[in-house]
Amino acid sequence: MNENASETTLTDEAVAHVAHLSRLALTPEDVTKAKDDLTAIFTHIDRLRSIATQDVEPLDHPTELKNHIRSDDVGNSLSQEQVLANAPAVKDVYFDVPKVLSESS
Amino acid sequence: MTIVTADRYNAFHEVWDEISHAEGTLAGMTIAIKDNIVTKTGTTTCGSRMLEGYKSPFDATVVSRLQNAGATLVGKTNCDEFAMGSSTEHCAWGPVRNPWDETRVPGGSSGGSAVAVAARLCDCALGSDTGGSIRQPAAFCGVVGYKPTYGTVSRYGLVAFASSLDQIGTFSTTVEDAARVTQVIGGYDELDSTSNPEPLPNVTSELRTPINNLRIGVPSQYLGENNEPAVTEAVLQAIETYKELGATIVDVELPLTDVGISTYYVLAPAEASSNLARYDGIRYGHRTSEPCTDLFELYAKNRAEGFGEEVKRRIMLGTYVLSSGYYDAYYNNALRVRRLICQEYQQAFHKCDVILGPTAPTAAFKIGEKTDPVSMYLNDVYTANTNIAGICGISIPCGFSEEHGVKLPVGLHLQSAWHDDATLLRAAQMFETATPFHLETPEQSS
Repeated sequence: MNENASETTLTDEAVAHVAHLSRLALTPEDVTKAKDDLTAIFTHIDRLRSIATQDVEPLDHPTELKNHIRSDDVGNSLSQEQVLANAPAVKDVYFDVPKVLSESS
Repeated sequence: MTIVTADRYNAFHEVWDEISHAEGTLAGMTIAIKDNIVTKTGTTTCGSRMLEGYKSPFDATVVSRLQNAGATLVGKTNCDEFAMGSSTEHCAWGPVRNPWDETRVPGGSSGGSAVAVAARLCDCALGSDTGGSIRQPAAFCGVVGYKPTYGTVSRYGLVAFASSLDQIGTFSTTVEDAARVTQVIGGYDELDSTSNPEPLPNVTSELRTPINNLRIGVPSQYLGENNEPAVTEAVLQAIETYKELGATIVDVELPLTDVGISTYYVLAPAEASSNLARYDGIRYGHRTSEPCTDLFELYAKNRAEGFGEEVKRRIMLGTYVLSSGYYDAYYNNALRVRRLICQEYQQAFHKCDVILGPTAPTAAFKIGEKTDPVSMYLNDVYTANTNIAGICGISIPCGFSEEHGVKLPVGLHLQSAWHDDATLLRAAQMFETATPFHLETPEQSS
């Protein structure tokens, strides 16, 4: 057991911060529900703290492939029409978004 | 050729009616495609409102290879949103129903593909398996579900969920069809940087040659009290069948089985939170109709409206475990456990060729039965470590549970070492040849 093992406790503020980082607009009710669900999930995840891992190298991928770099040749690419075809809002040949800069900036 | 007729189970999001007349090794075979694999024909929605109506400008590598081999592609199958789920209840287009009992789930996330094959609406289907999403629904629906070794099948055009765990595989009524289709879709693809550059072994040529002195490892951790009794009973019977076929049963230990789900629910959401960051509703995807004052609000509303509850939960879980101050305690620690899980498998495969157990601890459960996320996640307790290690696994029909007043299929889970897929499939074929379970259909039981 790691000496610093402790149960994960989540607050509404912590969940709201994670929602902000995740770019998800949540209502206060959504935040409370998410806190309860995530707390239950972390109770399960916290079992990992009981495993001795201090001397183990992290393994981030199951293959032993080294960096895989293709030759720098021009290949197929999409036309402007194809790129814009799925856009929810298009203006001329651009993706249309709300005004980003305020008058004062 | 099996053609999609009435789909009373909501297995399909789209049905196509164009028959391929091309020649090839899969000519005459009808194949459905999970809706998280992109196709130029029709739409690709991943079961999500975020991608409602999305039309891909290109085909996934597996789709091109199937078409080049003469297969007829019959449509897109429903799945849990972005392949996150174990029941196919979390699909924006409604839950998929299990043809053995329509009040029950088909498993997930590739539930539509499993049902399409189980109900004989098509010959085969493609799915994706990140923690059991092919094998568990195959078990619940009484069909063969095969997840090849990571890197065997190109992920180019598979909408990314957790890139180090995702692998495309097959649903079929026989092991032979699984091998035939994999022989076509597998092999190196320069468009997937994690594709295995070694030549694809021939998995069809010696499929029907039984393995002499097959060594089967049965970990005690797979036959614990969490299993439904009928599931354990069917697995014990399968062990007896293999003994009659000349196999040797060896004891192996996989003590980290128990923490596989905990490891998985750090790694998979971490990768998902990164992969799903692309859905901002600017270049494609759902755009809110509410007024927004700045870009941040636009992103946050697009994503909150476009994603379902489970996807949002996993994005937040992944964001949390990757965030400053928690990265090492959660994410890096899970990566360390991942190495230990791999080492555990390596030691086991010194002693055996195949590891055997149940695919899932229970038969199919009722729609709406599992309301808390953790109990849903525990469906994958026997399958998630296969993906964490990247080895191959298959679920094949091995009997039925009648504990619930209806006849429900039980799946036998076999796993083999990295790139030893030929052994896995031959071992599965031995069982299939000796048993009748794969021949039973839901229609016969109703």
